Amino acid sequence: MPEPRSNGDVRIGVYVCYCGGNISDVVDCEQVAAALRTLPNVVVARTDMSMCSDAGQALIETDILEHGINRVVVGACAPSLHERTFRNTIARAGLDAGLNPYLYHHVGLREQVSWVHQGNPQKATEKAIRLMMAGIAKARMLEPLEPTVLDAEQHALVIGGGVAGLRAAWDIARRGIRVTLIEKSPFLGGHMAQLETTFPAGEDARAALGDLIDQVVAHPLVTVHTRAELTGVSGYVGNFQAQITQQSRGVSQGFTHFAEAAEVCPVEVPDEFDYGMTTRKAIYRAYPGAYPDLPAIDWAHCDACGKCLSVNGTGLDLENKPATFDLNVGAFVVATGFRPYEPRRGEYGYDEHPEVITLPQMIRLLALAGDGPDLLWNGRTVKNVALIHCVGSREIPGVHEPQPDGQVNDYCSRVCCTATLHLATELRERYPHLNIFDIHEDIRTYGRGHEDIYTEAAANRVGFLRFHGDERPDVLPAPDGDSSPLLVRVKDYLTWGEELDVPADLVVLATGILPSPVDDIISLLKISAGTDRFLLEVHPKLQPVETAVPGVVLAGTAQGPMNIQEASAAASAAAAKVAVLLGQGSVKLEPFVARVNHALCDGSGECVAVCAYEDAITLQTVSDNGQTAQKAVVTPANCVGCGVCVSACPNHAIDVQGWTLAQYDAMLDALAAPLPVLESAT
Amino acid sequence: MATASEDMKILILATLSGGYAGADAVGQLHASYAPNTYILPVVCPAMFPEDFYLRVFERGIDAVLVMYSGTDCPYKGGAERTAQLINKVYPLMTERGIDTRRLRLVAICTVCTSAFMREVAQMNQTLAEIGPVRNELAAAVAAQASLSSDEVGQP
Amino acid sequence: MTVKNVHVDVLVVGGGIAGMQSALDLADQGYRVALVEKEPSIGGKMIMLSKVFPTLDCCSCITTPKMSAVAHHDNIELLTYCDVQAIGDRPGGGFVIDVVQKPRYVDIDTCTGCRQCEYVCPIDLPSQFDRELGAVRAIRVPFSTAVPQKAFLDIDNCILCGKCQQACPVEAIDFAQQPETFTVEAGAIILATGFELTPAGAKAEYGAGELLNVVDALVMERLLAPTGPYGHVLRPSDGKEPDSIAYVQCAGSRDKTLGVEYCSRVCCMYAIKQAMLLSGALPLADITIYYMDIRTFGKGHEQFYQNAKAMGIEFVKGKVARITEDEDKNPVVRVELIEDGSKVVERAHDLVVLSVGMLPGYNPKSLYGVPVADDGFAAIPAPNIRPSVTPKPGIFVTGAAAGPMDIVDSIVLAGAAAAEAAAYLEEVRTPSPQRAAIEEAVHA
Repeated sequence: MPEPRSNGDVRIGVYVCYCGGNISDVVDCEQVAAALRTLPNVVVARTDMSMCSDAGQALIETDILEHGINRVVVGACAPSLHERTFRNTIARAGLDAGLNPYLYHHVGLREQVSWVHQGNPQKATEKAIRLMMAGIAKARMLEPLEPTVLDAEQHALVIGGGVAGLRAAWDIARRGIRVTLIEKSPFLGGHMAQLETTFPAGEDARAALGDLIDQVVAHPLVTVHTRAELTGVSGYVGNFQAQITQQSRGVSQGFTHFAEAAEVCPVEVPDEFDYGMTTRKAIYRAYPGAYPDLPAIDWAHCDACGKCLSVNGTGLDLENKPATFDLNVGAFVVATGFRPYEPRRGEYGYDEHPEVITLPQMIRLLALAGDGPDLLWNGRTVKNVALIHCVGSREIPGVHEPQPDGQVNDYCSRVCCTATLHLATELRERYPHLNIFDIHEDIRTYGRGHEDIYTEAAANRVGFLRFHGDERPDVLPAPDGDSSPLLVRVKDYLTWGEELDVPADLVVLATGILPSPVDDIISLLKISAGTDRFLLEVHPKLQPVETAVPGVVLAGTAQGPMNIQEASAAASAAAAKVAVLLGQGSVKLEPFVARVNHALCDGSGECVAVCAYEDAITLQTVSDNGQTAQKAVVTPANCVGCGVCVSACPNHAIDVQGWTLAQYDAMLDALAAPLPVLESAT
Repeated sequence: MATASEDMKILILATLSGGYAGADAVGQLHASYAPNTYILPVVCPAMFPEDFYLRVFERGIDAVLVMYSGTDCPYKGGAERTAQLINKVYPLMTERGIDTRRLRLVAICTVCTSAFMREVAQMNQTLAEIGPVRNELAAAVAAQASLSSDEVGQP
Repeated sequence: MTVKNVHVDVLVVGGGIAGMQSALDLADQGYRVALVEKEPSIGGKMIMLSKVFPTLDCCSCITTPKMSAVAHHDNIELLTYCDVQAIGDRPGGGFVIDVVQKPRYVDIDTCTGCRQCEYVCPIDLPSQFDRELGAVRAIRVPFSTAVPQKAFLDIDNCILCGKCQQACPVEAIDFAQQPETFTVEAGAIILATGFELTPAGAKAEYGAGELLNVVDALVMERLLAPTGPYGHVLRPSDGKEPDSIAYVQCAGSRDKTLGVEYCSRVCCMYAIKQAMLLSGALPLADITIYYMDIRTFGKGHEQFYQNAKAMGIEFVKGKVARITEDEDKNPVVRVELIEDGSKVVERAHDLVVLSVGMLPGYNPKSLYGVPVADDGFAAIPAPNIRPSVTPKPGIFVTGAAAGPMDIVDSIVLAGAAAAEAAAYLEEVRTPSPQRAAIEEAVHA
């Protein structure tokens, strides 16, 4: 077994964190430190209650100054949490410029040791010692590295034209950074445009949205493309190439005969704006006042019959000519939003009984209903409305039937409780004689001003019934002779678990929030989704709007259920992160890229053959001491540091900086070595 | 007769974007698995040449789980290249008398906590059956020695 | 102490998680920020917590790096133990703010935080940081992870014995220190003044703070924290390990009698989190949560709640009407069991935790001219589209100053406030050459 060799000038400081008990309750941190102290090059080995605290960091700084430490190894929580913290610590320590931040190695002793070996403190301690020994072995071989500094394109691409995308675009532009916003559909506004009023204040939704759209499109630094999608991405933070594919609108400026064209258009399709409760033509606008102020042709349904041209063809072109163009952008904001949950056929009678509709449909129904004294549905006067909460939310694995894709929506959709009670209040105001039943598991009116909506609904004679999550209500046809066509059977725990039958002329399902299907964007941007299928942030508290891909941030409901206020806040926070990245015109990249030892390179080109990244590694004619030869040369900005070239090189001439094969070999030696023998305590 | 696997060592090469984050997720759950597991972070295992794995076994490490990111690999071609390389290691192991079950390539995502636990448990079960790698290395050395002495014995 | 005049782009008021995050989000963009905090250390309420939901990260592990980053950032001027005294408009836009540096009686530039003074101080005081469960000295570093790691002297409790002065190796202690006023000029202000908890004595029905074994949830946070006063969960009256612990939800929220009609948003999750931590610390203890509605609405929260149910934590729907105590000082909870025929029962527990709510920490009306809404939190005229913008131009609000919210929501809103403040600065500024150049390029 090879003994770890001492590397002359290397002076290593080793620190084992208690993590406030998270580690030290299982791992004997003092024993770990004592064992490591015996290793070559280890000058100090200390423990601390919380290494990441100011005091803990000061410990390292002092050792660098007083003991000439020039490599640091910390064993603490996961490196994803604090590796950067300690790199910064050593970078600011020392008399002049501090240590090079890459002379640091982080070992995870919490997530991968103490939290998973609670039942075996002794083995956990031994494992911690071995992992730290491996870390120290790597640290002996660390070299100073310099980040690559690149010019950052001060231009962001926002994907999605709903309230979050608009809000992010506006903030980025106001900060002085150019923005291009792309929206897949022909119109801006997203789901907010389908609301009439917003909670908590009853504000006019489309008016507030319209004001925001006006601000965004009027801003000189904003460019908006509707019907545009991201279809290609290359490059890296600060300097991405985005390929955008845009479908034709079919209608251009100067077209003035929308009403007549729509009149003669023979194609009638369900109108998605009203969730299929009305129809529209193949030439359409989402809603009056939609931006842009031009209709669009629905290419999926237009059969180019030309009837619209016969009215007045000016500005019409019935051929879709998709165009692609490239943009050079520094960052992406993913604001791709949500889709409402669509119940399965038969779920609470949906799609079986026409009297069962969803909450988004109900909101549109009320918008379309007019001012009459009665609410009508299918030609009948509605007397009893049942509102059922948590449809497609808070499902319990093993109890509720999974979605067709195998998913069980076990999360709370956050907005439906308040939205449902906001609706109940509107129903009560407009139809004083209606019987309203609210059937829920819990009422979650958590937001500022939301509890007032609940109180108001309760004061307004809304009848509340409460079910248990594993005993959800049933929607059944009413027996012949009942005045309402349906009944909702609820085991109601507000009347001590009695089974009640609630008559219903209309059943409204408070459907939850699902992320928009964005598999294409996930794979283009190399970001990931969580088990709930929403896009995943790095850490909910440390980096709540950032993804693991530098330069890609999240805004709004693509990340999880949010109401408008929360989506706006998240979008602005995303804009702040974009401003941090691009505001100063340059981006620093980690130095973990391939490096070629030209003394060993024989220009075989094996590395170039295996590398999948354009211009990351190329053969170039290099002159050395008057001799010219073909050698592999790395372009750091294009290299992702995957190391495919390392294993391909027949001469072991390539390494990834910071992750060299020699470092791994040293770590293997350390893992294989016997544990250091501690001097007897006596 | 099965041997207890707890004194044998499993090296886990785990990608930062997959297995390593998955292992951290297991920790977040406070789930429990065998402590004979040594996780080293890697950017992408496509960097390791075939002989690297042989060196692992020669050092007496009994098993290697390569937890890569599979189809979620953030590097173009990284997953395919990793699979190719591992496939080339198996015959080299056989040549040296090392049981190929000691090396496994598995895709582990950032939230694949149960897959992580299952792989660790299965590898320990395998080790309990096949015993430590040093037995195989010693047998190979012995075979090599007897082969050479045979050669010597044939004038 | 040198009298200084500080010129910055943005003044952030409050050094809790929201204020720290806003300061970092601005400073990282290159703006100059002053962060003013009334306490001797930044960290706010968050640094007092044990672990955070739903990830169960050690709270200090999330907070201390941010505290450290604030303290070390080149673009942040950290002003601890300071009060804002007056605000005026700066000619040409922005604000002139008078700030008072309260005397620490310790020279912050020379103190090394070695705590020698603390070891010799003869005065023991109840620790506010540990919710009066532990003791601290009159001169002390505020708490183990405080930033800055500098001592300060609580002069009201000092007997001027001079021992600390003798012990201090760097002669940093100065009993003659006086308050110093200086001015901060800033283009914009972010209010991150946070929240206070429902006071212990608020509710007579729950014992008005007189029952020893009825504690609030922040006390339980300290009991559960690894740096906590006892290192164990013990009940206050007799130091016994409690076998039966009850949580009373909405103890200070959704309660008209207290004038607090709103939901405090965090109590369901912190109660469930504490219950989970308690079942780890005291595996044999029975834990009951009395609630009206369980509101686990955030990302990953519902799953957290379901895990707690699966762990055997008992959730009982019922409003606790009254808490009394028996002769052994066991709290007795009188509760209507809504799901059990609305039967009214009395149940004795060893320890009761009140899930107290969030009250506004500060009224910004008189000093900042920012009105408050009926709930006492800062008024926000367009909450949906501009959730961090107050009616006063140039003044923004974040964190619990804008209403109850959890740490994640505070951090996100802090980013939003930073974005609004940055945009405000850019729009107010006379067009800079850089901006003019961009616009020219765009229009060309």
